[in-house]
Amino acid sequence: MAAPNLSHDPLEPLPLIEGTHTDQTINDSLLSHVLRGAGKGWWMLFGCALSMLGLLVIAISWTLYKGIGAWGNNIPVGWAFGIINFVWWIGIGHAGTLISAILLLFQQKWRTSINRFAEAMTLFAVICALLFPLLHTGRPWFAAYWLMPYPSVQRIWPQFKSPLTWDVFAVSTYFTISLLFWFLGLVPDLAALRESTKSKTKRFIYGLFAMGWRGSGRHWAEYKWAYLLLAGLSTPLVLSVHTIVSFDFATSVIPGWHTTIFPPYFVAGAVFSGFAMVMTWMIPARHFLGLKHVVTMKHLENMNKIMLVTGMLVGYGYLMEHFIAWYSGNPYEMGQFFLTRWHGPMRWIFRTMMFCNVVVPQMFWSKRLRTSIPVMWVAAILINIGMWCERFNIVVTSLHRDFLPSSWKDYSPTWVDLSLFIGTIGLFSTLFLLFLKFVPAVAVTEVKELRHELAEHDAVAGETHA
Amino acid sequence: MSAGHEDSGFVARRFVVAEFATPEALLAGTRKVREGGYKDVDTHTPIPIHGLEAALGLGRPKIPAIVLCGAIAGICIAYSMIYFCNVIDFPINIGNRPMHSPPANIPITFELAVLLAGGSSFFGFFTLAGLPKPYHPIFESEQFGRAAIDAFFLSVELPVGANADKALGDVRAAGATSAELVYESER
Repeated sequence: MAAPNLSHDPLEPLPLIEGTHTDQTINDSLLSHVLRGAGKGWWMLFGCALSMLGLLVIAISWTLYKGIGAWGNNIPVGWAFGIINFVWWIGIGHAGTLISAILLLFQQKWRTSINRFAEAMTLFAVICALLFPLLHTGRPWFAAYWLMPYPSVQRIWPQFKSPLTWDVFAVSTYFTISLLFWFLGLVPDLAALRESTKSKTKRFIYGLFAMGWRGSGRHWAEYKWAYLLLAGLSTPLVLSVHTIVSFDFATSVIPGWHTTIFPPYFVAGAVFSGFAMVMTWMIPARHFLGLKHVVTMKHLENMNKIMLVTGMLVGYGYLMEHFIAWYSGNPYEMGQFFLTRWHGPMRWIFRTMMFCNVVVPQMFWSKRLRTSIPVMWVAAILINIGMWCERFNIVVTSLHRDFLPSSWKDYSPTWVDLSLFIGTIGLFSTLFLLFLKFVPAVAVTEVKELRHELAEHDAVAGETHA
Repeated sequence: MSAGHEDSGFVARRFVVAEFATPEALLAGTRKVREGGYKDVDTHTPIPIHGLEAALGLGRPKIPAIVLCGAIAGICIAYSMIYFCNVIDFPINIGNRPMHSPPANIPITFELAVLLAGGSSFFGFFTLAGLPKPYHPIFESEQFGRAAIDAFFLSVELPVGANADKALGDVRAAGATSAELVYESER
C-alpha cells in the first residue's frame, strides 16, 4: 500500500521522470519488459484471457448458427447488449486518442509516459466494439451492401441520411487513423528495440517493422509534421465519433433518447470511462513492468483529476436530462426520467450508475484519496461498471417503457449475450497482454526527448537562480 | 572490403560516419561540415533535435501541403459520392424530402476528409522518407546502432573520387569524437 504523498511540498511540482537517468538507462528500463521472457504471472493472465476468448468464439459461432434470436433482445427492446457493449467499448477507446492527440496539442508533457499504452487500448477497444454491430446484423456477409457503398448488382446504396451509416464511416475511420497514428509513433521505438535486442530473430522482426528507420534528420523534419498533423486530425475525429454514436439515439423520438445534450454528454462519458480503463490496467502494469519511474504519482493524480472533471460533466448531463424532461412538460419524458429510471424494474442499474459515476469520483477532491493506489484502482473499476450501467440505462431502460403500456416488456439477457460480453473482455485482455509482451508499453523516444527538455529546463532554471 | 569492383561495374557508395557527444555539438558540427562544402550531409539521432532543419539547410516540410490535398480530396470524393448515389443514380422519394440534403451529408464528408488526410500524412511521410528501406550503407558501421538509442551521429556521403582522408579530418575538426569510413556492400 502506497503512502499518500503529503510530505511533499505542494508548491513544488512532482517530477515527471523519477530518479536520474541517461538515454541509455531510459532505453534499457523501458525496453526490458519486451526483451526478457514472459513471466509466470503473464502466462497465468494470458491463460485466463484465452479462456474468455474461447467463450467469445463459442458465442459468436452460436450467434451465427442460430441468428440473433439467440440474444435476449426482442421488441420493444430491439437494441440491448449489442449496442450497450458497442458504445461502452468505443467510449473506452476515446481516452487513448484524448491522451495522445489532445494532450499533445495542449503540450501537456505528462502525456508522454502513458500515450502509447492508451493508444493501444484504443485499438483493441475499437476491435471489440466493431464486433457487436457486425454481429447484430445477423448475417454480416449479407449486410455489406447497406453498410458500404459499393456498386452491387442490386443497384442499392446505403441510406446516407441515417446515423447508422454515418457510424460505419466514423468508426472505421477512427480505427484506421488510430492505427496509423500508433504505428507512426512506434517506428523510432522499434528501431531502438532492433538495436537493443541480442536475439537475431527478434532483431530481424523488429527491424522489419522499424522499416529501416535510421533517425535521419531529413526524416525527423517531415516526421514531426506528420505526427503533429495526425494528432490534429485525431482531435476533431474523436469528438465526431462519439457524437455520431450519440446521433444513433438522439435523432429518434424515444423518451430518454430524444435529447440534444447527447453529443457532448456522450463524449464526456467516453473520456471518463476511457481514463477509468487506462487506470485499471496502468496501475498493475507500471508495477509489474517496472515503469514506476516514468509513470509517476503525478501521472496517476492527473488522470484522477481528469476523471473528476469528466465525471462531473457526466453528472451535469444526467441533471440536464431530468431538467429538460420536466421543462418539456411531455408526460412520456417525465415518466421515463422520474418514474422508470428511479423506480422502474431496472432501478438498481440506474442507482448503481448514479453511485459509480456521480458519487465515486467526488472522493478525488481529496489529495489523500487521489494519491492512494488502492483507492484509485477500486474507483476506476467502479467507474467502468458505472459507465456500462449508463449505456444499459440509455438503451434498455428507455426502450422497455416507451409510449403505450400495452407495448411495455421487460428484458433479460441470454447466456449468449453474457458470453459475448465476457468474451470481448477476453479478446481485449489477450490483445493487450500480447501488446505488453512484444511492444514497448511506453513511448521510449518521447520519454528520451522529454528527458532532454527537462534537463535543459533545469539547466536554465539553475542559471537564473545562481 | 574494397572501394570498387571493376568486373561487376559496382561502385560502392562511401560514407563518413561520425559521432558527436551532445546534440549541441552535433548541431554546430553539422553547420561546420556543410560550410566546408559537403553536400550530402545527414544526421542520425534517437530523438528529433530542435534546430536541425536549419543546420541541415532543409526547406519547408512538404507534409502539410500533402495533408491538405488529402483532406480536400476526401471532401470532394465523399460529397460527390453521396450526391451521385442519392440524386443521380438511384433517387428515392420518401415523403417528398429533398434528394440532396446537405446537413445529412456533413458527417460522412468530414470522416472521409479525416481518413484521406490522415492516410496522406502517414503514407506521404513514408514516401518522402523513402522508407521502408531495410538496407542502407550506413548500417555497415558497427557503432551506428546506438543512433537509435543514445548517440548522435553525422553522416556525409562522399562523391566519387573525393579524398576520404581529408573528409575524415574535416569531420573530426568539426567536433566529432570519432569518425570512420564505411562502404556499401555489394549484394
